[in-house]
Amino acid sequence: MKIKVKFFASMRQLFQTREREVDLPEGACFRHLLDLLCDSAERREGLFDKETKLNPNLVFLRNGQPIQSFGGLEARLEEGDVVAIFPLLGGG
Amino acid sequence: MDKSSQLPGGYHGRILEVDLSKGRIKSLPLNPEDLALYLGGRGLGIRLFYDRVDPACDPFDPENALVIATSPLIGTNAPTAGRGHMVFKSPLTGGLGSSNCGGTWAPAFKATGYDVLIIQGKASEPVFLDITEEKVEIKSATDLWGLDVHQTTEILTSQDSPPHSRVLCIGPAGERRIRFASVMSDRNRAYGRGGAGAVWGSKNLKAIRVAGRAKIHIHDKDQYQSGAEQAYYLLKQAPATKRLLKELGTLGLIELINLIEMLPHRNFQDNTHRDEDVEKISGEFLAKQFLIRAGGCYLCPIACQRHTRVNQKRGEGPEYETTVMLGPVCDIYDLEAITLANYACNELGLDTISFGGTLACAMELFERGILTEKDTEGFDLRFGQAQVLISLVYRTAFRQGIGDLLAEGSFRFASAFSHPEFSMTIKKQEIPGYEPRASYTQALGYMTSPTGACHLKGGYAVSLAFFGGPKEIPRFSLLQSPLAIRNMHNLGIIQDTLGICRFTGFAFSTDPWARMVSGVTGLDFSTVELERLANRVATLERLFNLEAGFGPEDDTLPKRFSLEPIIVAGEERVISQDLIRQLRSDYYRARGWDEAGRPPLRLLESLGLRKR
Ligand code: SF4
Repeated sequence: MKIKVKFFASMRQLFQTREREVDLPEGACFRHLLDLLCDSAERREGLFDKETKLNPNLVFLRNGQPIQSFGGLEARLEEGDVVAIFPLLGGG
Repeated sequence: MDKSSQLPGGYHGRILEVDLSKGRIKSLPLNPEDLALYLGGRGLGIRLFYDRVDPACDPFDPENALVIATSPLIGTNAPTAGRGHMVFKSPLTGGLGSSNCGGTWAPAFKATGYDVLIIQGKASEPVFLDITEEKVEIKSATDLWGLDVHQTTEILTSQDSPPHSRVLCIGPAGERRIRFASVMSDRNRAYGRGGAGAVWGSKNLKAIRVAGRAKIHIHDKDQYQSGAEQAYYLLKQAPATKRLLKELGTLGLIELINLIEMLPHRNFQDNTHRDEDVEKISGEFLAKQFLIRAGGCYLCPIACQRHTRVNQKRGEGPEYETTVMLGPVCDIYDLEAITLANYACNELGLDTISFGGTLACAMELFERGILTEKDTEGFDLRFGQAQVLISLVYRTAFRQGIGDLLAEGSFRFASAFSHPEFSMTIKKQEIPGYEPRASYTQALGYMTSPTGACHLKGGYAVSLAFFGGPKEIPRFSLLQSPLAIRNMHNLGIIQDTLGICRFTGFAFSTDPWARMVSGVTGLDFSTVELERLANRVATLERLFNLEAGFGPEDDTLPKRFSLEPIIVAGEERVISQDLIRQLRSDYYRARGWDEAGRPPLRLLESLGLRKR
C-alpha cells in the first residue's frame, strides 16, 4: 500500500525532501514506516527517543490526527494515508 | 516593625499615580498584603484597577484608569522577565482590558524606582509623561500629536533625551480612538488587544518615556539562582525554545495548523486551503524571502522576533496571528502584502488581529451584497484582494471614509449594516487565527477568556491537543476540556503575573518560576500558591466583568460555529448550542462559580479575595 509522508521545518533538512511516497506491505504499522524512513543513525536519532519511543519533541500526524490517538508506534496504517512529521514548534 | 521592613524583595514598594485632569503626580506605598496575594503584572494590575474604577464607567470617561504593573522578577536576570502588563476597561468589549507586552520598556520603567504606574483623568491638551529617578513630569506633546509610532519614538529617544530612554506610545490610531488601537513599545512590540491605545487617546496621552538605574534587592540569591539556572538550561534543551522559534518565528506553525484543519479561511466560513498557498505564507518562506535576522525581547534567549525587509522597507513581523488574520482569513496568501500591512499597523498603532478580523467581516458583507461599492468608496472588497490591505490600514487608522466604520471593530461594523451575525467576535473582540470548531478546548478557551476572544487570555489550546505528548488532551473531549482549559488559563495568569513570556512554557512549566519568585521576594510562592493566586485573579477578573454587565450569554460563540459545519478529522463539526452550554457550565464548575458564572461568597473567602 502507498503512504505519503510529508516533512516540515527541520525534518526537511533531515530527510532532504519535502515529501516522499513509500510502499508498505498490507497491515504495516507506524513502526514499520519509521523503520523504513530511518535509513541512517542520524535519522533514527532524529525520530526516536532512546531507540524505542517516539521523539516527544516531534508531532506525528496521520491524516491530520496525532498518531498517539491511533496507538502510536503500533498504529495500523492504511492505503492512501498521509503522514506528517513536524518538529514541536511554538506559535503565537 | 516599620513598613519598609515588611516589603518583600524584588519591589521598590512604590506606585506612581498620575492624575492627568489635575496635573497631579503622587508616589504611593504598595500594600504588602496585595503583593502576597496578587504578586505583580496581571494579578496586581487587576487588584489595583478594580479598587479604583467603576466597572460600569464609559471606557472613554476620564475615570477609566490605565494600570501598568511590573513583577518582582523584572530587574533580575530571569529569562524573558521584561514584560509589562496593562489593565484598563476596554473600549472594544466594554469589559476587562488586560494586555501584555515584551520589549524593554517595563524593565526601564522599573529602574525609575516604581513598580506600578496608574494613570487616570484626561489632560486638556496632548501630553507625554517623562519619568526618571529624579523627577516625574507631565510635558506637552502637541508637537508629537499626529506623528506615527516610529517617529514619536525616534524623537523621544534622540540625543537630548536621558541615556537609555525607552518609549511607550500611541500612533494616529490611538489618537483617533480606533477601538482596537494598540500601545506600542520599542517601536514594534504591542500591547495589542482590547484597544488600550484608544484609552490613551481619550486621555490625550501620547507617550511615556522612562529612564533609570534603580536596582532591586533579591531576598535569597541562592534560591533564585537555582531556579534561573534551571530555566536557562531547559530553554537550551527544548528544540522549540533552543532554535526553532529563532529560525522560523511563530509563523513556523502555520503548515501544521493547516494540516490539523485549524487554519481559518474567509472570515471563518471554512478551513480549506491549498497546500501550495499555505507554503507561500509559511515561516520558511518568510525566512527565505524577507528575514534579515531574528531578535529577542529583554533577556530572551528564544528570539522569535522577525526583523524583515520587503524591497527597501524594513520592519518587524509578521508573526503567526498577523499572517493568518491579514492572510487566509481574508483569503490572501501574499506574504509581501501581509508584511507591508503589518509594518503599517505597527507604525500607526493598530492591533493586527482585530483589523484583519474586521476587514474579513467587511469582505463577507461585500460578497453577500450587503455592502456595496457605494459604501466602500469604490474599493473592491471581495475576498483575496491583497492590494486593498495597506490602503485600508491607513483609512482605518485615520478614520477616513469606510475606515471610520472599520475603526469600530467588526461587531459594530456589521451591526451598522444590520448583520451582526457576520462578525466573528466574542464579547465584541475578533477571534484570532485558530478555528474553534476544530477543537473543544479552543472553543471553550475563547468563550471564557475574560477579555473576549484571545489566543493568549483564552489559552493556547492547540498546544494541548498536539504538543501535549503523553498528557495530550483529545481535541473533542467534553470530559477533559473544561479542566484542561481552566489549567491553561491559570498558567497564562501565572506567566502574565510574573512578567515572563508564554513561550518559556514550551521548555518548562511553573516549577523554576516558583523557586525564582520565592527566592526574589522571600514570600512563599510555591507552585501550589501560584495556582491559588491564579484562581484568585481569574475570579477577580470575573467579578469585574460581571459588574461591567457581562453574563453567561456573553461566554459564547458566534452563531456560525453552531450552524455551519466544517470538516475536521473526516467528520462534519459544529460547536452546537447544547455543547456550548455544557462546556460553559463545566468550566464554571471547575472554577467554583455558580451556574450563572458568579463566584459564591465562600469561594471569595477561601481565596482570600476581598471585594471593594
Ligand atoms: S519568545 Fe519572542 S515574544 Fe517571547 S520574549 Fe522572546 S522574543 Fe519576545
